[in-house]
Amino acid sequence: MDVLNQVILHENSRVGPDLEAWLQVGGEGLQIALQDATVLIPLIKEAGLRGLGGSGFPTHYKWAAVAEQKHSNEKYLICNGNEDEPGTFKDRILLEETPNQLIEGAMIAAVALRINHIVFYINPDLEDAIANIQRAIKQWKVTELYFNVSTHLQQPLEFSVLPASGHYIGGEETAAIETVENKFPFPRSKPPYPAENGVHGCPTLINNIETLCHIPHIVKNGAKWYQDLGIGEACGTKIYSLSGDILSPGAYELPMGTSLDELINLYGGGMLLNKKFKAVFTGGPSNTILTPKDLDVPLDFDSVAARHSNLGTGAMIVISEGTGIVKRVAEYVGFFAHSSCGQCPSCKTGTYYIAMLLNKIDMGLGRRIDLDALIHLCEILPGSGRCPLINGAVKVLESSLYHFMGEYEQSLID
Amino acid sequence: MSEKLVNVTINGKKISAPASLSAVQAFWHAGYTRVEGIGCMEGVCGSCRVMVRRVNKKEVRMQLGCQTFIEEGMQIIFLAFPAPTHHAYQLSDMKNSWDVHSQFHKTFPETIDCRVCGGCTQSCPKDIEVQRGVELAAKGKFREAGELFIECVMCNLCMTACPEHIAPNHVGLFCRRVMAYFHLRPANLITRLEELRQGEMDVRTDN
Amino acid sequence: MSKGIPYDEALKRYQHDKEHTLPEMNEILRDYHPDYYPDSLVKLQVGINKGDLCHRQLAEMLQADARIDEADLAGTSITETNVLVIGGGGAGSAAALTAARNGASVILATKLRLGDSNTVMAEGGIQASIESGDTPQAHYDDTLKAGHNKANKKLVARMVMDAPDVIRWLIQEGMQFDQNEFGDLLTRRPGGASANRIVYYRDYTGLEMMRVLRESVSNSNIEVWDHSPVVELLSSETGHCAGAVIYSVEERTYKMIKAQAVILATGGIGRMHINGFPTTNHFGATGDGLILAYRLGAKLRDLDSFQYHPTGVAYPSHLAGSLITEGVRSAGVQLLNALGERFVDELKPRDYISAAILRECAEGRGVVVDDQTVGVWLDTPNMELREPGLMKQRFPKLFHLAKRGNLDPTKKPILVYPALHYQNGGVVIDENGHSTIPGLYCVGEVSGGIHGRNRIMGNALLEIISFGRRAGLQAAQNLSARGHKKSGIEHLTKLRRELSRANMPMDVKSPMLFPACANFELE
Repeated sequence: MDVLNQVILHENSRVGPDLEAWLQVGGEGLQIALQDATVLIPLIKEAGLRGLGGSGFPTHYKWAAVAEQKHSNEKYLICNGNEDEPGTFKDRILLEETPNQLIEGAMIAAVALRINHIVFYINPDLEDAIANIQRAIKQWKVTELYFNVSTHLQQPLEFSVLPASGHYIGGEETAAIETVENKFPFPRSKPPYPAENGVHGCPTLINNIETLCHIPHIVKNGAKWYQDLGIGEACGTKIYSLSGDILSPGAYELPMGTSLDELINLYGGGMLLNKKFKAVFTGGPSNTILTPKDLDVPLDFDSVAARHSNLGTGAMIVISEGTGIVKRVAEYVGFFAHSSCGQCPSCKTGTYYIAMLLNKIDMGLGRRIDLDALIHLCEILPGSGRCPLINGAVKVLESSLYHFMGEYEQSLID
Repeated sequence: MSEKLVNVTINGKKISAPASLSAVQAFWHAGYTRVEGIGCMEGVCGSCRVMVRRVNKKEVRMQLGCQTFIEEGMQIIFLAFPAPTHHAYQLSDMKNSWDVHSQFHKTFPETIDCRVCGGCTQSCPKDIEVQRGVELAAKGKFREAGELFIECVMCNLCMTACPEHIAPNHVGLFCRRVMAYFHLRPANLITRLEELRQGEMDVRTDN
Repeated sequence: MSKGIPYDEALKRYQHDKEHTLPEMNEILRDYHPDYYPDSLVKLQVGINKGDLCHRQLAEMLQADARIDEADLAGTSITETNVLVIGGGGAGSAAALTAARNGASVILATKLRLGDSNTVMAEGGIQASIESGDTPQAHYDDTLKAGHNKANKKLVARMVMDAPDVIRWLIQEGMQFDQNEFGDLLTRRPGGASANRIVYYRDYTGLEMMRVLRESVSNSNIEVWDHSPVVELLSSETGHCAGAVIYSVEERTYKMIKAQAVILATGGIGRMHINGFPTTNHFGATGDGLILAYRLGAKLRDLDSFQYHPTGVAYPSHLAGSLITEGVRSAGVQLLNALGERFVDELKPRDYISAAILRECAEGRGVVVDDQTVGVWLDTPNMELREPGLMKQRFPKLFHLAKRGNLDPTKKPILVYPALHYQNGGVVIDENGHSTIPGLYCVGEVSGGIHGRNRIMGNALLEIISFGRRAGLQAAQNLSARGHKKSGIEHLTKLRRELSRANMPMDVKSPMLFPACANFELE
């Protein structure tokens, strides 16, 4: 059986904004959900669905936390499509090619948690995605299914499409909430968590696009089916955004736990110009590094974490021998420095300073004292910000120091 | 005097030094070399910026190294960076005081983008209300804005903290300079200059 | 240092509302001023000032070997400019700005960063005779008298005549000064002066001046080289000063800057800790300029005369040497000994007051803390009693300092002791800051002759701008069409011969560049 693009990127799912075409294969999940909403959270839990926007946090926890907020008549779901990190391009495909799959997933969540506001929060650069979602919503709103959902909720289900502010930090949960409230995307301190106090103080669920796209299929086919899609302990499928010095870059939906070797050499067609594989930057809220000795690692959250790295969003940026690690890390940290919102000086100035030291070392002007400072910064900075951005910036540095200390040392003058 | 030793980490070096020492002195005390980013050692030149994390504290603070006295478990990183401003202007390019407002926005166009994140104010080791100064300057209230920056030592920490590249310290200094350039016209000084111009005030050196 | 009265006991004797009569003072300078410490002076044995008295520590540096020789210059990068300014304080900035505005290409090289200097720390203010009851003549007379009539009269005359225009110039650079409600500049009286003559901005006069000058330099076409201490000057075949060799601290390499004129504005010697005194000076004040100029053959003067600021903080010890501005005494704050008695007129010149404090301490009337620190009271609470709130408004920096020492100056007097503050002498210059070596100008603290043997408050900030501008203009106007044919360090050969003949220890190297505490070594 071909394991490539089995579920959410299956050709049957990629029908664009045409709702009728989607309902040929979809819609069943929502119907099942409407029959008995109480089974949904246990089902998601059993299926082992985890947050695919980078956190890997079990989805059922967030759902349960919002479901518990029974006092509130107003609840929000933010479908997080702010996707902006280097090397990640999966949500864009899902938004453009499978908007109905996403909307159905979001509506199931609404049924499960009694959510009456669904906000599609999308990177403003993705104009086609925004247009397709809007077209799809229009079609949904005149269906019987939509009417049934509103009846179930005892109030009309509202959809809105909100282009994000264009800031990377807007992808952070609380920053997304600020944006929905029409404010600058400054992350808030947690607690309180969005599940208790989100948009306008209402309980709010924030799920990544890819996570939500899985929902209709899980509800339709069952938890066992979803578990079995993954390899070993891992459940379901994952879209890997493969890029860099590779023959065939692209988005590949594969069983969760596919090995790095298979992804690069089988699906990616091997290294470009047959160069030697040096490392892969796994992308997401924090970038980490895998090296040739990790080619056997199953690409699921826990297996990658066991190698001091993060699966993140499933972005895999492959680099070959001859590419400088320090330069690449400097670029990543530069990205974080640019993206840092400014609220926490340790984050803004810290990332700026790390990037400056990295550039200095990359240009061959670095000294031992600069490297010592970088190592020390990895200790001082994590946890000092109100959101995890600074942790992400430090993580990529730390990971590169862990795997490539020799390369750093070779670049020093003394 | 009993000199209690405390343990700190500075730029990755574990150091034991008397608690009365500043971060700069402690680093030297341990035998390490540091000459860049050291200046007046009295907190007015702004060269010895540090990031400080105290034990069991989540927050990382921006301070001046010569004004930071070491405490047990403190973690300190020197921040030595060049910080050239990209905001160039000549006071003499401004025709008169009516021209200041437009010149300000030409020189500092980013001030209207201030996202009010508060990072500049939090970064300031002199507790200046930096963000308020930027807001006042953007509104053309140069006197009020400049008054807030009296104690600014141009350490540039607010500049690196600003996500919109505003360079608040230079905004403050601009405000102060235009006030002097256009509005400081002391009669006692001007009178004396005129007397000197008339040759009425020569000095006899033969006594 | 156990002689004296313990802190707590002295604090009990202290009364903040007491009236005082002053003791007689004869020969106090000769008996108590550190310039007269026995064995502190030697006669120079090499160079143009051979035979002159010089402080032992400075003599050691003046008669040391150079740090470089020809081999160090092989393959170094060479940059050319019209005018090279060495030093990034107020004097260097004023000189660089003036030279650049008069058409010269200018490089400003500085050991620390532009603005990291003694200028930025100056608190008290700047002298200019602008009040109706005052005249440049009075300014001249006061300066000469405070300097024990040892100053170069022509230089002083130039400076006092320049003073009002210096203030105008600073205002046009965007510097603020404190004003009264009518817009007149406020003035206060410096110790040893006959009139109110100090103009100021709070107790941040130097900070205000320096940040304005730094901004002016940054906004000009002057090329600034930070972290670039000069290790040697360059000489031409005709004996002109022809540039300098700098050491790039960032790149750890020597570089040559060839110039048609060099303006030395390297400041003073506080970090030499003459006679073991703490200093009010910044980290880079190691007297390098004196050594560099002397090697080229420039005449120096008054090498045995230093200023000890009377009110350096003595306690708490981590603030030792921190300056409390003379402005505080100008405003009426008095000095008291451990018996709670006033012992000197606080508005006398600085050398006199420092000597008086040292006498109190030497004769057992000092306040002693922990058997190792001694000092006298600066009676700030009395001032607070007479004019509540005034100190806090006028002297914010004092209150910051006190806060760092966990002191409240309105409640408890501050313990002070003299601190090494200023080098009175320096390189001999003419009215345009020109030294006795063609092409070499010296301005600011590195120059000598303006203050005689004791500087009066407010003349340092005046001097740096007055002579900085003069030298900058003169240098820019006297550029020859062609540069020097040769420029190198041949003059060091002569120096080494002389040192060898005089049996000087050749293992001592100078200039000092950085204080020993920073553990710096050239690579």
